[in-house]
Amino acid sequence: MSGTSATIGYGHLRGDWDYGDLPASIHLGQGCWIERRDSFERCRSQRDPAVLLGNRVQVYTWATFNLEPTGQVEVGEDSILVGPVFMCADRIQVGKRVVISYQVTLADSDFHPMDPLLREQDARAVAPGGDLSKRPPYQSAPIVIGDDVWIGIGALILKGVRIGAGARIGAGAVISRDVPAGCVMEGNPARPQ
Amino acid sequence: MMRNHPADHRQLEHDWYDGGLPDNVRLDEGCWLHSSYAFLHYASQRPCGVSIGKASGIYRGTFFNLGLQGEVRIGHYCTLRGVIINTNGLVDIDDYALIAHQVVISDAASAIPPARSNRKESEVAPEAAGETTRQPTIRIGRNAWIGCGAVLLAGADIGMDAIVAAGSSVNGPVPAGTLAIGNPYQLRPLKQQRS
Repeated sequence: MSGTSATIGYGHLRGDWDYGDLPASIHLGQGCWIERRDSFERCRSQRDPAVLLGNRVQVYTWATFNLEPTGQVEVGEDSILVGPVFMCADRIQVGKRVVISYQVTLADSDFHPMDPLLREQDARAVAPGGDLSKRPPYQSAPIVIGDDVWIGIGALILKGVRIGAGARIGAGAVISRDVPAGCVMEGNPARPQ
Repeated sequence: MMRNHPADHRQLEHDWYDGGLPDNVRLDEGCWLHSSYAFLHYASQRPCGVSIGKASGIYRGTFFNLGLQGEVRIGHYCTLRGVIINTNGLVDIDDYALIAHQVVISDAASAIPPARSNRKESEVAPEAAGETTRQPTIRIGRNAWIGCGAVLLAGADIGMDAIVAAGSSVNGPVPAGTLAIGNPYQLRPLKQQRS
């Protein structure tokens, strides 16, 4: 929190349970509002910045930053993060004035190999007591969300997707391909409306 | 860090959170509410903002994100396993309704908790007490079952014994005894009907 005017919670503590300092690799702009430190509990990124939030970004209690050691998330100013779950192994970039509603998942990676035998090797590596250095490689590709995009409740944004400025993503939509600017996408699989 | 509360502060005996229950929340006999954390984003000024019927269970992960005019009526023997309700209208949930994990019930797809986003409404006076003719924006009928991760938007009207499949997105009527599945959702008859 060093040296910024960002606040955690409502300025009066509701308990000591959730309001320690954030890691130094999480950079907050002026006037950011973080409801709950626990949103960053699964941020395991070794990068710096691991998370970069622009000025006046609001992060509600339902937001989760779940970053692999190689992950990086950047959010533009005045965006409102109500309930995104960032599953990030590469890079997720969110524009300015973006609204992301409840239970939205953004995953920039498969997190596990598609090849069945490599997936068995992966299962042994991530098992309790396993050797994480023996994890096989898996596919990742950055997600880029343009300015003024709205993402509806429960939508799923998959790896490599670019969403153009001003697009609207409907509730429960599954986005696996690029979305042009200003487009309204709904459904699973998502189609332009 | 416990704060000093006024004498009439209502606190659930088992609560881990010291936020307390708002005055306009009614809990009937034998119901269970996991925590007052459910009211973190609660701004309802209705005479009764949330009512929970007898022997209904409201479990961990449930939130009542209500604007000044928001109202939720929950009947008897309902199970809410962890649902986010985001409304400035009326959400009416009838007896025996079963609502699974990660369901969102909201007036709008790109919802922001109304308690913070609708500050301008603070100048709007609450409607008269005792009004009973208010129409629900979202209704869930008796014994309906809402599957995990489903989204109910304004206009959703789930009939008695109907089922909304997991992950579906519904913004219209689902007749009694019908299955709603997919996004966009399709309607199918359920094999087992009330006899």
